Amino acid sequence: MSVHDFWTPFALEPFINALIIGLSLASIWLVAALGLTIIYGTMGVINMAHGEFIMLGAYSAWVMQFFIGIPWLLCLPLSFFIVGGFGWLVERGLIRHLYDRPLDTLLATWGVSLVLVQSVRLIFGGEPQYIDVPDELSTVMNLGFIHIPWMRIFIFFVSLGLVAMTLAILFKTNMGIQIRAVMQNKEMAASFGINSKRVYGLAFAFGAGLAGISGAMFSGLKTIFPDMGLGYVVEAFLVVVTGGGEVLGSLATAGIMGELFSVFSYFTNDTFGRFVLFVLIVIFLRFRPQGIFTPSMARR
Amino acid sequence: MRRVNLYHDKRAQWAVYVVFFGILAIIPLSMDDPFTMNQYSRYGVFAMLALSVSLVWGFGGILSLGQGIAFGMAAYGMGATMQMQYQDPVNDPIPSFMLTNELEVLPTIWEPFWHTHLGLILAIGIPVLFFVIFGILMFQARIAGAFVAIMTLAMLGAWYNMAYDMQPYTAGFNGISPPSAFVAFGVEVDPYSNLIYWVSLGVLCVLTLATKALLQTKFGTIVQAIRDDPERARFLGYNVAYYQIVLFALAGLIAALAGLVWVMITQFVSPTSLDIFFSITMVIWAAVGGRMSLFGAIFGAMFINAAQSYVGDEFQATWFIILGAVFIIVVRFAPKGLAGLFEYVFGFIPYRVRGTSGARGDAHSASE
Repeated sequence: MSVHDFWTPFALEPFINALIIGLSLASIWLVAALGLTIIYGTMGVINMAHGEFIMLGAYSAWVMQFFIGIPWLLCLPLSFFIVGGFGWLVERGLIRHLYDRPLDTLLATWGVSLVLVQSVRLIFGGEPQYIDVPDELSTVMNLGFIHIPWMRIFIFFVSLGLVAMTLAILFKTNMGIQIRAVMQNKEMAASFGINSKRVYGLAFAFGAGLAGISGAMFSGLKTIFPDMGLGYVVEAFLVVVTGGGEVLGSLATAGIMGELFSVFSYFTNDTFGRFVLFVLIVIFLRFRPQGIFTPSMARR
Repeated sequence: MRRVNLYHDKRAQWAVYVVFFGILAIIPLSMDDPFTMNQYSRYGVFAMLALSVSLVWGFGGILSLGQGIAFGMAAYGMGATMQMQYQDPVNDPIPSFMLTNELEVLPTIWEPFWHTHLGLILAIGIPVLFFVIFGILMFQARIAGAFVAIMTLAMLGAWYNMAYDMQPYTAGFNGISPPSAFVAFGVEVDPYSNLIYWVSLGVLCVLTLATKALLQTKFGTIVQAIRDDPERARFLGYNVAYYQIVLFALAGLIAALAGLVWVMITQFVSPTSLDIFFSITMVIWAAVGGRMSLFGAIFGAMFINAAQSYVGDEFQATWFIILGAVFIIVVRFAPKGLAGLFEYVFGFIPYRVRGTSGARGDAHSASE
């Protein structure tokens, strides 16, 4: 890159293309952030190992396909349960003891992420792995000047589906009502007979499971390697924190962030676009630390 | 007569610092290995970074994951200064990486680095100024806790991308490697010599003792009060934001000086100095050693890095698993780290002092 071609002038067709890329990117960030939203929104835990949960999802999909031969589409729900179970164990063994020390959960989960990355590197090696996806998904959709891989369209709709599922679970099931009760007031919920420890454990497991399914899905889009989590986790955090820890907040934030990033990147380039986006978020959080929508829950 | 914990005796603490730095200072006399000296001076820089984390997080309660911002900015400033020392104003005024990036004239932001003194002032001044502005942005809005961590992390990520992307100015991924050693006041600071070790240790020593002294003043007490309960400190009439901003900037200053010395040692600066992983690793050093003890944090940084290079590259993956596990255990069971362990053990040693003054209310003891 030289300095002279830094600024790309506006042109309609590439710009529309950029907007569509932004939507696709937003859906990826959304699905990466969804599990984190549950975990942060419910218990106020900043889970630094979330990127590694995503990585575990991708690796479990790869292992299931490579060693057992399970088709990729079936790997998605299975990864949900595998990583969800793992998340449940992490909550039981570690997070549970740190709820009254929110900064320490951030650090402890960073330790977890360090251990996970290196363990996976030790077991499966550091080289990138590839996964076979159904042929229909590996082609590109052509609409004149717009070229989108079907995989990205698939991820877009699955991410919306996951959001709908999460909302349904939160608002239509008993478990979801309990989660929201604990979210709003833990002590009050406990006095109504809700086992808040169990709710926390399940909410964490659910959040981890969502990371698992997103990881399995990303494995179809990109290569799998031990450090892949770091590529998602920072953006996922920004989505969650800017969205105020609520599912709809994350949905809105992911959309706005994806589009802004894509538009900035169109006019300049990827890295500078990211710089502008990060700075904008820091400035936004300065004025609205509670997030884009005012949350209904008590902040811990 | 009053029974106290020897760990909290101020005079004992100062004695430990004097002995510690005294022993470190005479190490080069007993060995003459330039490569080991280079290695040890690196540990000195890591210790400075742990010191800055300990100050801002352990004593100020501000978990900054962005200490790398100051470190990296200063490192780039120092890299530019050293690069321009090598360049010749007449025959060879433009660094070679700029020529390969199609720059025909020296960019304006590089001009001041012709002058070594100005370059050094900028290398320190810009990061500190940035931390002041960033601190005002955050602490005026009463942002605290995990939000500070996330915001500093995002800012760090932004600067990392910037350093990566502005290739004509920063040499991008490859980084700047000034070909010659730093020359100050006519003295060449050879990165493979005893001198570099003493420079690194000297800066570390001065910073540590100054921080220690600062924490024993009224300022230090107020800062710790804010850490323990910002709301109460505010009700007592203290301007919490002011103290947090100053503390944040001071931690930035320490990290910036670390970045400066780092480039003297390595003659190399790249976006890795702004890496997120690196900045969180600093927090691990301070946490394992003991974030509420300056000495603990320094020791943690030195010990962990010495152990890491002892283990070697071959078992790097295993090493990080152990480090991660140790970190989890420390956070879970011993939030005060090794220093907290010492505090606990020293509590069993019978030790008495006359009167009530002199052995009370030290920085280390003020926590809970």
